[in-house]
Amino acid sequence: MHFLLYLDPGSGSFLLQLLLAALLGGAVAVRMYWKKIKGFFSRSSSSTSSNEEITSVDEQKKDG
Amino acid sequence: MDSNNPLIKKHPASFRDPSGFLFSLDGKLYRQINRGYQAEYDQLMKSGLYQTLVKEGLLIPHQEVNDVPSLDSSTVYRVIRPEMVPFISYPYEWSFSQLKTAALVTLQIQRKALDSGMSLKDASAYNIQFWDSKAVLIDTLSFEIYKEGQPWVAYRQFCQHFMAPLALMAYRDIRLNQLLRVYIDGVPLDLASELLPFQSRLRFSLLAHIHLHAAAQKRYAGKPVPTKLAAQRQNKGGGMSRMALTGLLDSLESGIRSLSWQPAGTEWAEYYDLTNYSTQAFEEKKRLVAQFLNTTLQENSKPEVWDLGANTGLFSRIASQQGALTLSFDIDPAAVERNYQQTVEKSEKNILPLVLDLTNPSPALGWANQERQSLEERGPADVVMALALVHHLVISNNTPLTDLAAYLAKLGHWLIIEFVPKSDSQVQRLLASRTDIFTDYHRDGFGTAFSQFFSIVETCTVQDSERTLYLMKSRILHDAV
Repeated sequence: MHFLLYLDPGSGSFLLQLLLAALLGGAVAVRMYWKKIKGFFSRSSSSTSSNEEITSVDEQKKDG
Repeated sequence: MDSNNPLIKKHPASFRDPSGFLFSLDGKLYRQINRGYQAEYDQLMKSGLYQTLVKEGLLIPHQEVNDVPSLDSSTVYRVIRPEMVPFISYPYEWSFSQLKTAALVTLQIQRKALDSGMSLKDASAYNIQFWDSKAVLIDTLSFEIYKEGQPWVAYRQFCQHFMAPLALMAYRDIRLNQLLRVYIDGVPLDLASELLPFQSRLRFSLLAHIHLHAAAQKRYAGKPVPTKLAAQRQNKGGGMSRMALTGLLDSLESGIRSLSWQPAGTEWAEYYDLTNYSTQAFEEKKRLVAQFLNTTLQENSKPEVWDLGANTGLFSRIASQQGALTLSFDIDPAAVERNYQQTVEKSEKNILPLVLDLTNPSPALGWANQERQSLEERGPADVVMALALVHHLVISNNTPLTDLAAYLAKLGHWLIIEFVPKSDSQVQRLLASRTDIFTDYHRDGFGTAFSQFFSIVETCTVQDSERTLYLMKSRILHDAV
């Protein structure tokens, strides 16, 4: 991988990001699937409008 | 065209980024965009990112100009004229919430950039400026084209400029924001890690982005970026995927949001409650200040007022509500915090609260002492206000009256200043624990000292109090014109 960088990202910072990547990326994936599962059930139980969904996503973001 | 125009001045802080640079001509600010940055600039403008960010007040608007000579035609792609922020302030002059807002705005911009296939290539707190209660990115050239798999190059800088100082202020001591004055590229993470209390490790965001980050930096110090490893991981799909990058930003954001500080118990935040003005005298003082401001502000269409020792900005608002661009300075971070929160709650315009210790004002800093300007270099203001301040500088700091007058005469064209005599209980409080060596500290001595540097235009005793308000005109600035 070759980057044209004017700031030195720092080797340690670079490696830590890769390390955190798996963990934090995983968390995002879990959250996304959880949202889908929740969405599936809320859709099947009651018809949620798309606006309400956006609100609930925003709220989750704030909590996260 | 190449210009040898001696009036063109390259900005002394604009040298790190090879994408372009700032220069000024005829008092206007321009930014040259170099050919090397053509693809990035075009994507910023064509992807809709620029329009989105400007619309939401996150990025400073600019105009492309064709009639301005460039400094170097061999490298120029475009010259743009960004809107000017009325006053450049620095992170070591911000209160806790100002730095926190700047951090969150940086992350918000990074998310929007990713949506448009771009990424911030720096996350410097100095690229954020405040005006009209809002934080805005002033560096149009901060974006690079995002490539999937690429980590966030500005991660280290974000942690040093925002996460570390905010954590230190929240967990250790509010005064530690002054470390930013010493470390121009943000607080070194090993230092932050050492200074933070143990319980900061119990919070994942601080453990990861400060403590582990510092340990990783130490372990790999001086070693090259392990590109092989990165490439391997990327091929396996385990590099910095977009999802991982989003996770990193989520984690940084929740980390920043979780840091808080309540302004209480510091020196002056309760000052208005303690002051020995009667209600009537206080109203009289407000009326006199408004009257003096009226006299001075008529001279200028967009006057700048510096309120020194502004506390939570009660008198600053007399100026800002008259349309003056008002800097509301105070030494106490709690007072500035409250002042700032008030500007945000009420979406106030024309006022910016900042932390400033007048006994040791912000100096010129950075490379060749030219990257960050001193307070004086950012002046002179049209009007300086120094209300209930003189006794603190003269008695607590032993500043001779003539030295005080000489400095204030350089800071602004007009001065509205209040003299607080020794008989005042506030002065008595300051003198209680020390010998009174201030033989010339009385109204006549004050008048004599200030007359050397100012023409005294008006003198009014504040009714129902022992204090005097003066309106003066700087002789240093006016004789020089």
